Amino acid sequence: MTVALAEARLAEIKAPLESFLAEAAGAGHVEILEARPLTGGAIQENWLLEVDFLGGPEQGKRELVLRTDSPSGVAVSLSRAQEFALLRAAREAGVTVPEPLWLCAEESLLGRPFYLMRKAGGTAAGHLIVKDDGRSPVSSPADKEALAERLGAELARIHSITPPRDDLAFLEQPEPDAARGAVAKYRAYLDALTVPQPVLEWGLRWCELHAPPSGELVLVHQDFRTGNYMVDGQGLTAILDWEFCAWGDPMSDIGWFCAKCWRFGLDEREAGGLAARAAFYRGYEVTSGRSVDPQAVAYWEVMAHIRWAVIALQQGARFLSGAEASLELALTGRIRPVELEQEILALTAPDAWGAA
Amino acid sequence: MRDRPDAASLLEQARHTLLQEVLDLLPADRRYPALMVANALAIAAREIEQGPDAEVAENAALSALFDAEGDVTALERRSAEEIREGGHDGAATVHGLLRDSVTRRLRISNPKALADDADT
Repeated sequence: MTVALAEARLAEIKAPLESFLAEAAGAGHVEILEARPLTGGAIQENWLLEVDFLGGPEQGKRELVLRTDSPSGVAVSLSRAQEFALLRAAREAGVTVPEPLWLCAEESLLGRPFYLMRKAGGTAAGHLIVKDDGRSPVSSPADKEALAERLGAELARIHSITPPRDDLAFLEQPEPDAARGAVAKYRAYLDALTVPQPVLEWGLRWCELHAPPSGELVLVHQDFRTGNYMVDGQGLTAILDWEFCAWGDPMSDIGWFCAKCWRFGLDEREAGGLAARAAFYRGYEVTSGRSVDPQAVAYWEVMAHIRWAVIALQQGARFLSGAEASLELALTGRIRPVELEQEILALTAPDAWGAA
Repeated sequence: MRDRPDAASLLEQARHTLLQEVLDLLPADRRYPALMVANALAIAAREIEQGPDAEVAENAALSALFDAEGDVTALERRSAEEIREGGHDGAATVHGLLRDSVTRRLRISNPKALADDADT
């Protein structure tokens, strides 16, 4: 099993990793008491480390998360070093993130760059968070509404980061027209996948004809949704998954968060399966001073379904090519696109083409 | 092949056995993979049963739209290209054809998603 191999690998580098931590934390001595793999994304590998620091500002036992690329990593997202820079920028902007601690850009130690952050508590499991019972840390509708408002404020703080930024110079230069740029990008992805996709083409054509004017240029998270933040009994503890960040249109993140495909079955709670949109929008508008444009958000929700369908097809293609023999990838590629296509067609029925 | 039970029956019984006789004995962290296996078996069984008719229906609908013969993939490629180029903007016939196609595919890949939205 890959986990056992990875564990052996981490055991092998225990001593050099302890030396790295001691130097980074200014500690006299460091001992790694425990290391276990955390379930992570399909691309990254996350380890929970229990570390005992002797001396220095970290003195005592700490729970840290080590994040690195998985051995089968796919080069579609940002590097760990870039992600570390984004976490720092976000923290500086007041976003609730796991505190980034130390980056090791050298590959000699683990074979790949990695960084450490402080562990954030709670759960990120979207299907549990949206529940109205004890399985959710925010079990009451009132707590969920407060969380939705808080998330609106968090997203506003992410959007307070604007170009140019020397520390984020690695982010791609944005398309001058965010919406049509996205249409062109997803068409190119579909062309690379080779199987014709008439429904996604229908959605993309609608998006081409109904593109809103581009908004301001801000840092967009591009995966800000239920399932990618952590919550405990006290509320939000961390916004996660920064590897898709780019410069873009702020309304695109709002559309992604509210899109039906990220409500975990609670379709009537349009803000991420948590609450009505009003709470989320209120938090966003109060903190950003920017108005939410409902029409632009509706547009970006159509695009959200297309984007997720394209990503699911790409995940399926990783199975089909033989690159990764994973049942999860196989099922994602088989089931998600057609579910999303049903929603895309519902959102782009013939009467929705009038305003072109 | 005349040997019985046929492939769809075997897959359905395999799924039933997994869910009824094996699932509860698995450690908690292996439940999710087992449920994925059950889902994959269900999709495969439905594809065996419904796939051929669905393909015939798809082919008939596309052939009627384009007044042309050809295999499904070639006709789908043509429709995808024409939609992209703006040949069917907002066209109710094409939208209806795509909806029917999605319905047939959902019946195989995830009928539950279909039930939620059946009359919208």
